[in-house]
Amino acid sequence: MSLLHALPLAHALVARKDLPIPAWLFAWAASIVLIVSFFALSAAWREPRFEEEHWRPIRARLSRDLLGMPAQLLCGAIGVFLLGVAVYAGIHGTEAPDRNFTITFLFVTTWLGFPLFSVLLGNVFKPFNPWRAIGRTVGGGFRVLAGQRSAHLPYPERLGRWPAAIGLLAFVWLEIVYGANGGVSVGLEPHAAAVAALLYTLYTLAMMVLFGVEEWCERGEIFSVYFGMLSRLGCFGVSEGRLGRRRPLSAATKWATVPGSAAVVIASISATSFDGAQDGAFKNGIEHTFHWFVDRGVGLAGALHITDTIFMALTFLGVAAVYLIGVRGMSTVQGAPPAKKLRSGFAHTLIPIAFAYLVAHYFSLFVYQEQAQFTYLLSDPLGTATTNLFGTASAGIDFKVISANAIWYVQVGALVVGHVLGLTLAHDRATAYWGDYRQAARSQYWMLAVMVAFTCFGLYLLSVANA
Amino acid sequence: MLPVAHVGHWLWALYLPPILIVVGSIVRAKISERKKNDRSSD
Repeated sequence: MSLLHALPLAHALVARKDLPIPAWLFAWAASIVLIVSFFALSAAWREPRFEEEHWRPIRARLSRDLLGMPAQLLCGAIGVFLLGVAVYAGIHGTEAPDRNFTITFLFVTTWLGFPLFSVLLGNVFKPFNPWRAIGRTVGGGFRVLAGQRSAHLPYPERLGRWPAAIGLLAFVWLEIVYGANGGVSVGLEPHAAAVAALLYTLYTLAMMVLFGVEEWCERGEIFSVYFGMLSRLGCFGVSEGRLGRRRPLSAATKWATVPGSAAVVIASISATSFDGAQDGAFKNGIEHTFHWFVDRGVGLAGALHITDTIFMALTFLGVAAVYLIGVRGMSTVQGAPPAKKLRSGFAHTLIPIAFAYLVAHYFSLFVYQEQAQFTYLLSDPLGTATTNLFGTASAGIDFKVISANAIWYVQVGALVVGHVLGLTLAHDRATAYWGDYRQAARSQYWMLAVMVAFTCFGLYLLSVANA
Repeated sequence: MLPVAHVGHWLWALYLPPILIVVGSIVRAKISERKKNDRSSD
């Protein structure tokens, strides 16, 4: 029991709030916004607008500066250096997760920061990807020495992005389930995180040798796929080696053409949902199941890991089921394409929801923990109080920088905006598939139900976590 | 007095009505459409 009570709070650091209306009324209001948006889309959105990106290049000089070899080398070197610092700090630094550079850097700065910057600025992770940098350097060296490009196996098309989807769940499992350890935002021990980073490096480089650097980054490398997915929402992208601007959201429509893409975005939503529900909505169920295993002789830590794994898997299946119900509903409308085409054709509509859930659940953690990242963790990365590189080792986190009510309003706003954008993408795709805008609108009744369900579920999770 | 001590355990139910209303409306619309199609085929 003591192990359960020592579970960390949901990763979104929250506090009590005094709202003008109950939290559940926010869910009703958000649902009304979605319903009104649906009718507005049905009336006014009569032809697809996102099927083409309308990409326009930016100034050639700026594009060359940002995408040229010097910038690539510099960004790659920074990525490799920071990965090295994270591994080193994890192995040689303090075991206190909140005082060690590794945990905050990997699970907050990188895991939460890159999604935000990817949406705003495009696929910024690509040049900083340390594994891509190492792979390209080794590949370049091979070319120089051998006088030819290295040969690779053809990537199995049916495998698609499944390795990335499974890897994403494994990463979150490592953080939330394996690292369930008491009292701090991420309880995973820095040493374990560093070892995991090293193992992941070996695995990724091996896959790059087998299938090629860019091929693996496009399909199987967790962070490239995940951050790349979110970058499709934004208005900056690269085409034929040039940086340009495109219509926002338009790049998302062509993302989910690879098998396993729906699994990636569903994994993202379910991982965030489980993190939020673990200490709130699922708490009683987890406790009962935990005791069931303990009563049958399973050790405390093992029972906790098994229980959390089961609930995480159930969350994934639940989110997938809601999406598939929406797809099934669409398939009943006259003129519907085959179910397989619907399943993959509408997966991208969940990307704004994945981002909305990420913002809603982790916004406050990001605001608080980044203060640590750029003060005491930067000056004393090992957390041993023996260094003060930038004179900020004694700084702390100002938890009053944003109020609990402001956090709630950001959470609600993120969920509403994300789901309205999801609805818009779905409606746009429907007009492309059905042709007739009335049939397209009819087909989206079920996607409206899916969006309302995700919105209410998301707000419920947050309200319980905040209570 | 109303037994409200444990009503907090059921607050989750207040998040269901929007979903139920939307799903109910869809089902109702489907049934009406089916009846209309049956009438026009008769």
